[in-house]
Amino acid sequence: MNWLIDNILLVVLFLPTLGALILLCLPGSKSRLLLWTALGISLIPLAFTVVMLLRFNYSAEGYQFMADYQWYAAIQSSLKLGVDGISLPMVLLTTLLTPLAVLASFKISQNLKAYLILFLLLETGSLGVFVSLDLLMFFVFWEVGLVPMYFLINQWGGENRNYASLKFILFTMTGSLGLLLATQLIGVVSGTYDLVQVVAKWNALDQPLFGIPIATVKTIAFWAFAIAFAVKVPIWPFHTWLPDAHTEAPTAGSMILAGVLLKLGAYGFLRFVLPFFPEQSAHFAGALAILATLAIVLGAFGAYGQKDFKRLVAYSSINHMGMVVLAIAAAAAAAGTPDAASAVNGSVLLMFSHGVAAAGMFFLVGVIYDQTHTRDLTRLGGFWQKTPVYGGILIFTSMAALGLPGLSGFVSEFLIVSGSLPVFTVLTAVAMLGLLFTGLYTLKAIRDVLHGPFNVEWAGHLNDISKRETAVMVPLMLFMIGLGIWPRLLLDIINAAVKHIF
Amino acid sequence: MIPFAWYLLIAAALFCIGLFGVLTRRSAIGILLGLEFMLNAVNINFLAFWRAGTMQAMSGAVFSVIIFAVAAAEVAVGLAIIISVYRSRRTVVVAEISDLKE
Amino acid sequence: MMELDNLVWLIPVFPLIAFAVILLFTTRKRVLSHSIAIGSVVLSWLASMIVVVSAVLTPDFKSNPIHLEIPWFTTGDTPFVIGAQVDALGALGLFFVSWTVLMIFIYSTGYHNFGQPVGDKDQPGLPPQGAAYKEHGKTLLQPSVEPMYGRFFGIASLFAFAMFLLILADNLLTLYIGWEIMGLCSYLLIGFWYAKPSARDAAVKAFITTRLGDVFMLLGLAFLYARTGSLQYSVIFSHETLSSLTSQGTGIFGLNAAALAGLLLFIGVVGKSAQWPLHVWLPDAMEGPTPVSAMIHAATMVSAGVYLAIRIFPLISSGWETGAPLTTAMIVVSSIGAFTALFGSTIALTQRDVKRTLAYSTISQLGYMIAAVGIGAPLIAAFHLLTHAFFKALLFLDSGSVIHGMEHGQMHSGEHGDAQDMFRMGGLARKMPITFFTFFIGALALAGFPLLTAGFWSKDAILTSAYAVPGRIIFWVLVTAAFLTAFYSMRQITLVFLGKPRTDGAAHASESVKSMTIPLIFLAVFAVAIGWIGIPAAFPLIGGHVPDFLAEFLGISAEGEVHSNVPLLASVIVSLGGMLLGWLTYRSQKGTEKDAIAVIRPVYNFVQRGYDFDRLYNVLFVRPAKWVSEVFTAKWVDRVLIDGILHTVASGALALGSLFRKGVDVPVINGGADLTARGIQRSGAGIRHVQTGQVQQYMVMSIFVLVIAAALALVFIV
Repeated sequence: MNWLIDNILLVVLFLPTLGALILLCLPGSKSRLLLWTALGISLIPLAFTVVMLLRFNYSAEGYQFMADYQWYAAIQSSLKLGVDGISLPMVLLTTLLTPLAVLASFKISQNLKAYLILFLLLETGSLGVFVSLDLLMFFVFWEVGLVPMYFLINQWGGENRNYASLKFILFTMTGSLGLLLATQLIGVVSGTYDLVQVVAKWNALDQPLFGIPIATVKTIAFWAFAIAFAVKVPIWPFHTWLPDAHTEAPTAGSMILAGVLLKLGAYGFLRFVLPFFPEQSAHFAGALAILATLAIVLGAFGAYGQKDFKRLVAYSSINHMGMVVLAIAAAAAAAGTPDAASAVNGSVLLMFSHGVAAAGMFFLVGVIYDQTHTRDLTRLGGFWQKTPVYGGILIFTSMAALGLPGLSGFVSEFLIVSGSLPVFTVLTAVAMLGLLFTGLYTLKAIRDVLHGPFNVEWAGHLNDISKRETAVMVPLMLFMIGLGIWPRLLLDIINAAVKHIF
Repeated sequence: MIPFAWYLLIAAALFCIGLFGVLTRRSAIGILLGLEFMLNAVNINFLAFWRAGTMQAMSGAVFSVIIFAVAAAEVAVGLAIIISVYRSRRTVVVAEISDLKE
Repeated sequence: MMELDNLVWLIPVFPLIAFAVILLFTTRKRVLSHSIAIGSVVLSWLASMIVVVSAVLTPDFKSNPIHLEIPWFTTGDTPFVIGAQVDALGALGLFFVSWTVLMIFIYSTGYHNFGQPVGDKDQPGLPPQGAAYKEHGKTLLQPSVEPMYGRFFGIASLFAFAMFLLILADNLLTLYIGWEIMGLCSYLLIGFWYAKPSARDAAVKAFITTRLGDVFMLLGLAFLYARTGSLQYSVIFSHETLSSLTSQGTGIFGLNAAALAGLLLFIGVVGKSAQWPLHVWLPDAMEGPTPVSAMIHAATMVSAGVYLAIRIFPLISSGWETGAPLTTAMIVVSSIGAFTALFGSTIALTQRDVKRTLAYSTISQLGYMIAAVGIGAPLIAAFHLLTHAFFKALLFLDSGSVIHGMEHGQMHSGEHGDAQDMFRMGGLARKMPITFFTFFIGALALAGFPLLTAGFWSKDAILTSAYAVPGRIIFWVLVTAAFLTAFYSMRQITLVFLGKPRTDGAAHASESVKSMTIPLIFLAVFAVAIGWIGIPAAFPLIGGHVPDFLAEFLGISAEGEVHSNVPLLASVIVSLGGMLLGWLTYRSQKGTEKDAIAVIRPVYNFVQRGYDFDRLYNVLFVRPAKWVSEVFTAKWVDRVLIDGILHTVASGALALGSLFRKGVDVPVINGGADLTARGIQRSGAGIRHVQTGQVQQYMVMSIFVLVIAAALALVFIV
């Protein structure tokens, strides 16, 4: 028991991999067995995460539940794990969404075993990114998370899946090239890959390196990191992989992609870029903010102009992640002020809230797609008559994504706006335009799917949302409304970390 | 006394004749004959050198005896092989037995 | 005060619980749904009345408001709270909101035909079409119950929660929460009959137009928070904060920080209260069921905008003192208000639909209130808010009753046609007496019939304040609007109720059920009497005998009032004259086509279409927005430009890769390897010939090599 608590992060991190191995040994033809086993296994990390949440120490500075395992002593890289108020909500998000994704996959028929194994491996990869306190391990897990996603899109995706999966993995990997090099640079120069020590040592450097002034070296390293994370988030103009990847991925794949993978990039900014490169971040924050605002506005416009339901939701992800990055940029520019604290609080909360809401939205798209085999908004219509429960859930989730007060999106948006307005006044004002269009495209989706006369093409083919599908949505909805009414559920944890770091 | 060198010359001459025979005789038996010549030449050589030095050590004579034995055995085996080959090929001309060609 | 504190926070909670219970559990059960909804609203009403009465009875209440709060979340080290307070303005708001909401809820049961059979062709999402029944061998239609009955009450309860929350808020954040949730409910209720394309589009239009205002409002909130560090009324509107804000410049149009914040928040008001230029959603919002129009678009939601305007008056009027010329912000506010008042009333003149007339009338009356705020008389605006809530709700509910009567008549006579077209009505006074009587009272109140109606007192107060503003432009604009208001009120009465029925449907109309008429009567009483709490002391003859309760309660000061009988005279003349003219013009209306004031048809049509603002916005905003989204962003920027770059890079990489393969890999590396292999093969083939199988040859070769090796060894080693 004690061992479990002491090594809780190790357990949480590698239990999914263990689960994948267990699944490997099970017969591939017994779908029910595979699905329930995968579900059961993926629920265990969630339970442990809840334990961590309950045992979280709100007044401690730094990381908690830390553990250090020897890995590659020759280059001073070890498997160092730990969470703080920023990463713990992300861990919760990942461990929450994976079982839901498994639950959402009950209708997959081909190669179910490989499918589930890939999801569990994906969970390990994502969790690894969030809990690693070692730069090299962070990179390893970062890259590990890409491969299962590629295969998920490639094998179980839509018609254009080859293009989409290749675009996704090549684009992201290209971005990560600089990350690898910069990581190596930092590791070698600081003599260690341990995050906590690197922050101190790297920031203390002031002599020229390899004959180049330290500021230039840091700037290059900053951009290397920034571009890698920028592709993942994604920030305009590196966003074009997202609509294709999200649209072509299978439903559960999109849930994880939008819910978790996008957050890896934003988390990278918060955990690495801002602490490692405070001056460069402050210097380039303006550029970052401009790109983020473009993401907000153009993402919203793009969403409004879509005819494909899933693509519309994909663009909405660009729109929301733009807000997250705007807040991060504001925090970078105004480091140390209460505005920065507000902004980061808002952005982390938005990361969680959007993760939940976007996963919900993609799942709901999938519910319709499973029955109608189309995502074309012009062919849907008037569904509320036949699917009242689904309609209610869709409106609820859309409103959470929209930022309606009382649901989780509002508090985060308010914090972001109040944090960013004093720092980037004009850009925040422009971002409000994006907010307006957020309303437009959300209503457009609701209008085209639910409202209007019932499209008789589907008469007799449409059933309301099933119990299993409702079971997937219920935890998400509980979070959406719980966080909306009582944001302190997560905000206290986030704030505990933000107070000290920013 | 017969000069020492003449023994060696005889041996050499015999050796060369034997070598020539081995290299040029058509028939396998001819080659064996040549081989016998060479072995005997070597024998003479050994005995000559033995005689020329102190004859305390028996090694020279022993060598010759061994060579006799080996040569005999070898001829026996060799003839057996040739007879076996003749039985399957109906020839003892070595030029025609070239299955190990490239 | 302990019990009162508890009561205050319970007021919004009752309807919230009702909303959750109804939507989760009882949507299918009609009786349960409306009972829970009405029950919760009754409880809220009761609690509100207790609070209001105790507030009124407390001496000097305005200095000691009731107050409570709960911490909501903390960022950095700053806490944000959800708080409630009841001050004088809040008590006023509680009063009219609780009464009107209660009346409307009761009315809704009858409006949605509770107790009637289910229609045979009725589907959720469409208005009920009627149930067939046989009488004297003929198949006739009777009204059928609304299929989505439960859902209506659920959403309406949520709406009530939001409105109460907004009234009770003690900080802008809580207000904003209520504001947005009301926006959602408005969207859901306008689009209640979602299968109708017009309703669906109207709902989106409402949401988006108000959202545009809300976006600016959020900016204003964030701006205020950034400058003052708080969103609490007690902090923002405190003397020190205000003076510090007033002294900070912003560089935008020369406004100081307070004025800028005020104007940003005011844009939200413009959206929510449908002022020009964000007025376009309100007429279309009539697509919703009539109780929705009454509740949201007359009594409460649009009033929330005015309520906010009154609250933020200190910001708008920063730097102003009574008697001084209006500040920039105040000029903006009052101009928009006055313009809207006139604008709305001109369009109301030309409408044929009974509800649309009232919609434009609402826009116009709200303009009155906004103008009042803008000229420095916020509490008088509150007075008009109070009276308007009652008589406008009354009018809308009455119009619903009229429409029901018309539909009933149409079902009875088998006629088809627009049941809401006033020109198809006529003579309904005899068929629907209670409706007529209450509607008439409401119209009189709207027109400002002197002395006997609430509308007169509040409107007169506004005109008096407007008269005191130097320049008097606003005064004359408002007077003109008042004249037009009286005219179209009487137009409506005459067309709908007086004269003879002009169609079969009207001829067969019948009075509505008690659940609809009783609320009408209650509201009519208020429409008459509520004005009497605010009789100014300076009023000729009556004033001074009846104390001015309202002024005392709200703290309206009478000093600095320029006393003149001109505004009073103007309002009386305008009201009576307008009504007379309206009656005269329409009393001999025959036929359903011609409108007497349509002298110049094109002008009439243009005004009727709302000066074509809908088309203008469509061209200016909607279509460009669609273009930007569909063509520019989704296609050009993303697919052509960015993906184009990506694809070019990809093709470049592909070309480079092919180049390397064909130029280097294949010839050099592959070729080199192949060449080596072939060379070896060939040399092998050549050398192979040595192996002849000839033993003697082998022996010759070995001897040869031996000799050479020996020679070499001799040479090199020895």
